[in-house]
Amino acid sequence: MSSFFDAVSSQAFMQNAIVGGILASVACGVVGSYVVVKRIGYLAGGIAHSVLGGMGIAYYLGRPPIEGALVAALVFAVILGWVSLRLQQQEDTVIGALWAGGMAIGILFISKSPGYNIDLMSFLFGNILMISSDDLFWIAGLDVLILLIVFLFYKQFLAVSFDEEFARLRGIPVERFYLLFLALVALTVVILIQIVGLILVIALLTLPAAVSGLYVRSLNLMMLLATLLGVVFTTGGLAISYQPDLPPGPTIILVAGAFYLLSLVITRFWKKA
Amino acid sequence: MDSIIKIKDLHFSYDGPKILENIQIDIQRNEFIGMVGPNGSGKTTLLKIIMGVLTPDKGTIEVLGKPPFQSVKEIGYMPQLTPFSRDFPISVEEVVLMGRLGKTSSIGFFNKDDKRAAEKSMDDVEILELRKRAIGSLSGGQLQRVLIARALTCEPKIMILDEPTANVDMKIEKDIFDLLKQLNESVTIIVVTHDIGFISQYIDRVACINRTLICHPTSELTGETIENMYGTHMHMVHHHHEDEKKLS
Repeated sequence: MSSFFDAVSSQAFMQNAIVGGILASVACGVVGSYVVVKRIGYLAGGIAHSVLGGMGIAYYLGRPPIEGALVAALVFAVILGWVSLRLQQQEDTVIGALWAGGMAIGILFISKSPGYNIDLMSFLFGNILMISSDDLFWIAGLDVLILLIVFLFYKQFLAVSFDEEFARLRGIPVERFYLLFLALVALTVVILIQIVGLILVIALLTLPAAVSGLYVRSLNLMMLLATLLGVVFTTGGLAISYQPDLPPGPTIILVAGAFYLLSLVITRFWKKA
Repeated sequence: MDSIIKIKDLHFSYDGPKILENIQIDIQRNEFIGMVGPNGSGKTTLLKIIMGVLTPDKGTIEVLGKPPFQSVKEIGYMPQLTPFSRDFPISVEEVVLMGRLGKTSSIGFFNKDDKRAAEKSMDDVEILELRKRAIGSLSGGQLQRVLIARALTCEPKIMILDEPTANVDMKIEKDIFDLLKQLNESVTIIVVTHDIGFISQYIDRVACINRTLICHPTSELTGETIENMYGTHMHMVHHHHEDEKKLS
């Protein structure tokens, strides 16, 4: 463990990794809490995975993958939102199709990309140790945008996630806010891909909020606690992975998963006692 | 007396058989209307038309002298079933504050006026001491009161309640209707119910819906009228709870 602290104090890449984890935790605490209480983890998973299509195209065109990810995430968020509003009967099938279709597009473009074949694994599983200071500015900027929108429309988001029918009767344009919310999910997904890659995004998006929801009974506190837990999971995962040289992304997810299972057991036991 | 809801020759269908046919009703300020009818008779559809969620195929409807979509913010609505999850992390006060949407500023948090209005309506329905409680920890009767308070927080001119006492026992049902009667001094109330025998002492008129609508003054209610509107044989069971009648 002491070698981990040495690395953090001396190595820029470790400092970037820690700061990246903290910045990502803000978005995943706030947006993840809405995803959990609104129970749209599957929809968020669809957005996360289909993003590979955009990353592949961007890579093919020689652009930074994060630009492709951003565009694809927003486009798929709107498409998936529209599907879930209009085609409620077949919602899960259509999400599944877009999920897989997006990934397939990405893999085709990556395989046809000229030049040295890039490491597909780093798209899929991310690498928090490779985060550059540019990435940190991106993540911080997206954080600010997400927080700004959530503060401005706090009431509407609360109403739409709690009771859509009532929100509609109070004159809230429910569908517009639903799509705006999915756009926030898309932005968050793009941030989290930098940390854990797109396969594992959905775990980092939902687990801190799910753990936090077991302990607190208000949405604001849930967001705050989820953010803190996000910091604990990313930093903890990094620390554990450092010495045995494990990939940090999966380690972070396993730390989060273990915390969640433990919390489930504890809160069950607590309620019974 | 002035008319609050005016419906004339209204027809409605969802791409199929008529759900509502030739509906006429004129509801006056501070009336207390009981709406009854079998399941699938079009009660909820009519409420949705009054709140501007659905548009009639034919006929006219005016609510507070305006088309329904313009006046819906003046209506306090309490749904039949709670469409939200009981484990949503939200307090009583936050739920009640949602009634302020559409009245308060569209950006930022709820302000002092909103908090005051929420406090007043929680006080009116006697749940002020529950304000910090999570909704998941409430009893059925307490939750019904929270939903009434939410409907009240927009300072409505009309309240529409869809089976407000569906899941509570007789004692709470009576408490809730006593409360509504009190509110009725300043608010026009429409309440959907199956329990017409019980509420006849509270309401002014009964609107019987079964595709068409027939209104009866409460004094005309007999076993026969109720039988006609449900279209099947019913028993009036008389038993005494401080002179109430209950239909079972």
